[in-house]
Amino acid sequence: MTDVLVYDSSMIKIDRYYEKNLVDLVAEVMSKFNSQIKPDAIILANAYSETTVNQVLLASKISSMLGFSGFTTRIENGDASGGAAIETAYYMIKSGLVKSVLLIGVEKMGDFPTSYLNEITAENLDEKFGYREGLTLQPFAALQMKQYMKTYGVDYDYFTQWPLAMHKYGSENPFAYLKFQVDKKTIEESQIISEPLRLFDTSPRADGAAAVLLTNEEFKPEIKVKITGVSSAVSEFTTLSMPAVRQAYSQFSEYKADFMEIHDSYSINAALILEEIGFEKGKSLNMLDSIQVNYSGGLKSRGYPGGATGIYQLAESFMQLAGSFPGKRAQGEKGVIISTDDLGTSAYVIGLKRC
Amino acid sequence: MKVFPAQVWRNKESLYSLIAGKCNKCGNLFFPYREICNKCGSTSVSKVKLSGRGTLISYTVSYQTRPGFEKTSPEYVGLIRLDEGIEIVAPLTDITGEIKDNSRVEAVIRRLKADSSNGLIEYGIKFRLVEDEHR
Repeated sequence: MTDVLVYDSSMIKIDRYYEKNLVDLVAEVMSKFNSQIKPDAIILANAYSETTVNQVLLASKISSMLGFSGFTTRIENGDASGGAAIETAYYMIKSGLVKSVLLIGVEKMGDFPTSYLNEITAENLDEKFGYREGLTLQPFAALQMKQYMKTYGVDYDYFTQWPLAMHKYGSENPFAYLKFQVDKKTIEESQIISEPLRLFDTSPRADGAAAVLLTNEEFKPEIKVKITGVSSAVSEFTTLSMPAVRQAYSQFSEYKADFMEIHDSYSINAALILEEIGFEKGKSLNMLDSIQVNYSGGLKSRGYPGGATGIYQLAESFMQLAGSFPGKRAQGEKGVIISTDDLGTSAYVIGLKRC
Repeated sequence: MKVFPAQVWRNKESLYSLIAGKCNKCGNLFFPYREICNKCGSTSVSKVKLSGRGTLISYTVSYQTRPGFEKTSPEYVGLIRLDEGIEIVAPLTDITGEIKDNSRVEAVIRRLKADSSNGLIEYGIKFRLVEDEHR
């Protein structure tokens, strides 16, 4: 079976683009794309277009704009859409039926006031209860955080380590939405979202577009980066663990990645993900100096473009391995991406290696 | 119109009463009710009405709201272990004083949102503290 190679990537800075719609954002990211290869298929990763831009049939519209008339479709699995799209494209190329897939992740979340944005993201909750009850996602993360604090005897101070590190890394990334460093006092005194969760424990949803070309090994990129494997799982919401991440990562337990990009929709999610992949429970955020994690700045500082996030993570990890990432550089030849939905109930793990 | 009767009415078993599913094959109890057991895949699932009583494991005060729900913001949201063993996250209501860990709670029906001042009203379950009952 062929290897799956990452051939090229591009991304735009995550921001609020009031003058552009989703298709315009894709035009912008594709104008930065170096490769002239015509793909066999285009897969779109997007979670919220029905409500954010009142559009469906988006994969066709985007393909049409790009002058592409072959197989195209959209992958939607909430904020994990990016990971789901990568896994799908990987299987397509592995099957031998297609030689190349252009992955496009795009999302538009910066147009709205918070309460309307909450209405959109609440669609992640079960329609039979949580959604209709008027709940939002943030109190779920707050409950996880509170249970974590109680169980491991840590205080709020412990969680400040995550945004501190993320903003430090993100301040070096020209594609980051919140490209600035913060001090501990700013984090501790930031607005309460759902106690004990504060503003700096959440991630800023905004607009973004990223593109990655995957190919089989007939193509000869200058630097060979291959996807070594993919794995995914789903689970119920629980407060002190992320079974989906644990199950999806189990295939990578011996992988020993040098660096990783993980889905830190909240600081507590970062802790739970790190602990599901092997770091000590209740202590993972004390170890950030020794882990090469989210040098992009993560969702916290690079920004959170919904279903496009996984494609950003792939592009960033590829650039790290190709030596072209314009921010903080990671050492090593192996990377891993953990793409999840907002609350970590659906997880996709993707391994990358420079050969 | 933002409240559509069909959308609300078909969820009456999870919004107006707490109907769980009990698998006749493996005994798995789950809420909301579905016709298929999410543990063993059996389609032999019975409806069980939950007591609506439980213990508050944890709670948070959320300052996040959604259009139509502004009147109940900020909102108390609880992590509740129902007496039948199921854990759910649900809104709390009628909170006046301090909340103690492991407080007993019970389900009540409350107004969730309305279309407008004279429009359709959507109701649903919230949980209130039960006085003088601790576990």
